[in-house]
Order: sequence, then C-alpha cells, then structure tokens
Amino acid sequence: MKQLNFKSILIAITVIATFIFNTPAASAFCGFYVSQADGSLYNQASQVIIARDGNRTVLTMANDYQGEPKDFALVVPVPVVLKQEQVQVQTPEIIKRIDNFSAPRLVEYFDDNPCQTQRRTLNDSAPRPEGAQQAPKAPPSDDALGVTVEEQFDVGEYSIVILSATESQGLETWLQNNNYNIPDGASELLQPYILQNLKFFVAKVNLEDYNPEEFTNLRPLQMAYESRRFMLPIRLGTLNAQGNQDLLVYILSPKGQAELTNYRTVKIPSDVDIPVYIKEEEIFPEFYQSMFKNSWEEQNGKAAFLEYAWDMGSCDPCSARPLNPEELKQAGVFWDDSSVFITRLHLRYNRDLYPEDLRFQETPNRKFFQGRYIIRHPYRGEADCPEAKDYYQKVYNRQQRNAKNLADLTGWDLEEIKQAMDFVEIENKQSSPWWQRIFD
Amino acid sequence: MDKPFNFQVDVRDLQILALSLFLTIGLTQGFDFTIHPNQILTAIVVTLITQYLANRFLKRQETAALISRSALITALGLSLLLRSTSLIVIAIAACCAILSKFLIRYRGKHLFNPANFGIIAVLCFTEQAWISPGQWGDSFSLALLFVGIGGVILSWLGRWETTIVFLIVYALGIAFRNLWLGFEVDILWHELTSGSLLVFAFFMLSDPRSIPDHPLARVIWSSAIALLTLILKYQFFLATAPFWALFFLSILTPWLDSVWQGKQFNWKTTTYSWGENNHETAKL
Repeated sequence: MKQLNFKSILIAITVIATFIFNTPAASAFCGFYVSQADGSLYNQASQVIIARDGNRTVLTMANDYQGEPKDFALVVPVPVVLKQEQVQVQTPEIIKRIDNFSAPRLVEYFDDNPCQTQRRTLNDSAPRPEGAQQAPKAPPSDDALGVTVEEQFDVGEYSIVILSATESQGLETWLQNNNYNIPDGASELLQPYILQNLKFFVAKVNLEDYNPEEFTNLRPLQMAYESRRFMLPIRLGTLNAQGNQDLLVYILSPKGQAELTNYRTVKIPSDVDIPVYIKEEEIFPEFYQSMFKNSWEEQNGKAAFLEYAWDMGSCDPCSARPLNPEELKQAGVFWDDSSVFITRLHLRYNRDLYPEDLRFQETPNRKFFQGRYIIRHPYRGEADCPEAKDYYQKVYNRQQRNAKNLADLTGWDLEEIKQAMDFVEIENKQSSPWWQRIFD
Repeated sequence: MDKPFNFQVDVRDLQILALSLFLTIGLTQGFDFTIHPNQILTAIVVTLITQYLANRFLKRQETAALISRSALITALGLSLLLRSTSLIVIAIAACCAILSKFLIRYRGKHLFNPANFGIIAVLCFTEQAWISPGQWGDSFSLALLFVGIGGVILSWLGRWETTIVFLIVYALGIAFRNLWLGFEVDILWHELTSGSLLVFAFFMLSDPRSIPDHPLARVIWSSAIALLTLILKYQFFLATAPFWALFFLSILTPWLDSVWQGKQFNWKTTTYSWGENNHETAKL
C-alpha cells in the first residue's frame, strides 16, 4: 500500500493580459516598509504564479514537498498536451521574490518634536524578506486501461509524463502501477477532468538524477500552454488534505487586476494604524495571521482575499526591490511590453467551502491596493513647551484608538493589548470609565 | 375620516427600492464592490438627462418628466452590474442604454433591455469596463432575499414565467452536466445560489417591455437564453455568459412576437385607498 505522503496538487490554466503602465504614483507615503507577512507563515500553503496574456499562459507551481523524494507525485490537469519544450524547472528564488515583493507590509512613522512648529514625518525601515511556499502534489492511480502516454520526458529532477485517459479508474490504476503515490479515491476526482478532455501532467522525482545535496527542496515546475480556460484546479488538492489549506496565487497580467469569477474576491483590511509594540516585539507576522483568520471567519471562509494589486514596475513602500526583467522572465512574463500588473490572492480553502475549481478573469482595473499597516512612534524626546501637553493628549487618544483597531482586526483581548502598550504620560489621565470594561 | 387617503403604487417604485437596497448591501456589507458613489451618481444623472432629452427631441413630447422611473431602474441596474474605473465609460453605458430604447425599436417596443445594451456596448467598444460575476458570492441568505423580492415584483408584473423557466432550464443544464461529470450536489447549489445569476434572472431578464408578449414565446425565449448561457459558460469559458445570451437572443423577440401574438405590456399604477377595501388600477 502506498503511503500518502504527497501533498495536493494544483493546476491551472490561465489567462493573462499585459498592459502598459503609468509608472509609479510616486508621491505617496513616506513610510518605509519594516516587516512583512509572507507566504512562509502558513503551514499548508501552496504558491502559484500565473502569467497570462490572451490565451497564453505560463504556470509556475512552487513545491514545498517535505517528504521522501521517492514518494513525491504531482498530478495536474492541463488543458493541452505539453511537449518537453513547454516545461522547465524554475529557481525557487523567483517564488520567494514575488512573495516578498507583494507581501502585506508594516510601515512606520515617527512623530516630530511637538515643540518645533515645522512638522515633518520621518521614517525608518527594516525590511525582512522571507520564504516561499509550494504547490501540493498529485495523486496516483492504477489501471492502464484507456490511458495514453502522450509525452514522456525528464526535466531537471523530475520525470514527467503527459497522459490522456478515457476512464478514471483506468487512470488511477495506471498511476498506481507506475509507482505514483496517489491517494485512494482519486479516480472520482479525476473523472470530471477526463470528461472535459483535459490532459494530465504527472510528475515524479527522477531518483537517478536527483542529488539531494544539490537542492534542499524540489524546484518549482513551470509550464507554458495556450488555452481559453483561465482556471486553477484545486479539487485534487483537497482529497487528502487535513483541514484548511492556504493558497497564494500571483497573477501577472499586462492588463490589470485579476479576480475570481465563481467566488468572491474581497480586499484584506488595510491602511490601519496599529500599536507600536507590534513592531517592537516583532509580532507583525502573528498580527497578520490573526487578522487574516479573523477576516476569513467574518466572510464565513467564502472569499478570496486581495492582498496586493500593483504595477510591478513600482512599489510604495517597497517591501522588496521590484523584479528586474530577468526575474520577470523567470516568473513567466513572456510579453514584450514591459508592463506587468500583479494580483496577489490569498485563499484559505477546504473541500466544503470551495467545491469548484477556481475560475479567474482579468479586468482592466489598474487601481493599486496593498495590505499595509501603520505604526506611528510618539515623540520621545524632551518637550516642555505649552503645545506639548496638547500633543501628548492627542497621542494618548491615538494610542487608545490603535488599541481598539488592533482588537477589532485580530480579535485579541483589548485589555491585554493595552497592557502591552507603552502609553505616553499625560496629565489628568482619566482612566477609562468603569463601565467600559463591560460595555465596550 | 371623510376623505380616504389615497396613494399610488407603481411596481417600478418597488423595483427602484429593491435595486437601491441591493446596492446599499453591496456597498456597505463587506462585498467590496469596486464602485464609487460618484459612479452611481453619474449613471443616474446621465440616464435621467438622456431620457429627458430623448423624450423631448426624439419622441417630441411637449412636456417630459424630469425623473423617469425606468431611467432610474436602468441606472441602478448598471450600477449593480457594470464596473469601470472611468466615469466616462459609465456615462457612455448609461447614455447608450437609454438611447437604445428610443432608437432600436419595433412595433412600439424596444428591442434590448436597456441596461444590458449599455453593458454590452461598453464591453465591446471600450477597454475599460468589466463585470464581476463573483461579486455577490453564493450566500444562501442573499439568494433568499433576491428570490423573495424578485418573486414579489415578478408576480405583480405577471411575467414570472420568464425568470422561472430560465432558472429551471439553467439548473437542469448544470444538473445534467454535474451528473455527467460526476460532480457532487453542492456544486449545483453553489452555481444556483450565485447572487449575480439571481440578480440577472430576476431584475434584468424579465424586463416586461422588451421580452416577447406571448407567454409561450417567453417560455421558448428564456429557455433559449438559458441554453445559450450554458454553452457560452462551459464551452467558451465566458464568465459573463448570461449578459451575452440575453443580448443575442433579444434579436429574436420580433420574430417570436410575429409568430405568437400576445398582449403588449403596459406599466400600471395601482391606487390604494386608506380605509377602503377597493383599489383601482390604471394604465399608464
């Protein structure tokens, strides 16, 4: 009996559109990026880059498979038969780069001395990029009946076959006979793809060529094809997943923002002031995870969150340097036009919430959006002018509001938040009215 | 108590209320509609002005109402469905929608649903418009709201069969497809509770002034729209399939009307008298 070590699978067909872009709305904030909540936060996270223009698609699936290479199997329904030239391995760095570039970010500002009339805002920053995630793997099956091997080739550390099948049980049997590690019950999920005339991209690790010293992880697989379908199959991935899975989809298009057409796409709460200790105690990732979970629950889990939508030529503030042309190429950008609009969608899904595969469309919407959270440091120097009193009162009120913001966003306990905060000293400090403890 | 208090109700008032309610829900309840109040205002102002001018100069009416109910309905329908980052595109859609009523006519009826025409016009001729079919999600409570309010309005209009037949044929189509593909029942449910589909079926498809006059013709017509929607959606992967299907098949209405002649629809207003049991209905 095979072990079901493999994770899920993803696939996709997509569309992208390119588009030229009016460059940076550079005037904006002077806050710098100090922290980010990137894809490495989530346990069962898959990351997929879809570069699409018209019907042409380049799909890159990150691979975070942690098990034995011999147990790895990936099955991805694809719309057309892929030839060897259409498939390659890509450096894992590119996923990391895109993740870091588009991750939700924390920015900070410092208040000026209230006793100096000229007000300026200073900023500080401390970028701290982080890691990437992978796509799940695929199921095996067992009968050879009705299965045609359309193409067979090796790419990097992978052995790949492109199969077409007439019958799902046959496909499952074929996969199992050929030592692909596929969970039981896969045939039921494979059948709809067979009937819709999709082909199967099936990969396992080529153990002869794989040198574990060379790569710590399996590299992302990248494939290019042409199809009207702009979708990402997630159903196979739900087969043996426990609980919810996170999926980050980066859609690169020359045209504008992409969105789901069969589920809702909503913006993650953004541009919110939160307390300074989120940065000082380095708990921005925890903050973001709590906030994401909270927002996800508010939507009953039935929405994909937009975390970033921006022209790739710019960023403000930047959480990572924009990708250079070479990196864009690695990410799958194939159109000449230098304009690339990125949409980062974050889904947390399971079989019940997302019974259907994801379908996308690109839109001409070029509005920028980013998950951005702000901290403002109070002035901590000497200030004993008459204006100072007023200033500290304002800061105190602001801190109260920020505490409330944080509690609302994350569901954390307001009293605990306040205890963690370093409130400024004010005269006549009114402790909050006694009834607020229960009425808030 | 000598004078009974009379008030008039036009079913279009209900429609305006319902569409405004949906728009408010979409704007305030975390649905993240990519629409700005300016766009709604633009749609309303442009439809009203176009309607007024068209009444004066195309229809040569001596006096025309400043506020036209049907123009308002068109504006609200556009705001619910059409997305663009450009106010000009919204204005073009609103203008085309209203003008289509005056310019593309046969036998005293307009051929296209105005909002549908406006949407298709800007989808075809500008690069800056789109529709977000996923914007309402598939919430059961919303579905109930759309079906409930839509049902009341349609039964009042006497045009409910158009919507019901569309939904039945569409549902059967998906059910058969699911059966064939071996999909679970919840996929059918997911598709049918799509808010966008229900808003289309109850508030756009059934526009009584542009659909066929005879009930049988309406049944055939809306079945054809459902089938074309399914084909466009599943064979051509067109997420906005219902709007295209309605647009293309509206062209068949004159032919259907010539084969099956029915009574042409006219808006009515019902006057209710406070404290009296009777009410009267007048044609507009």
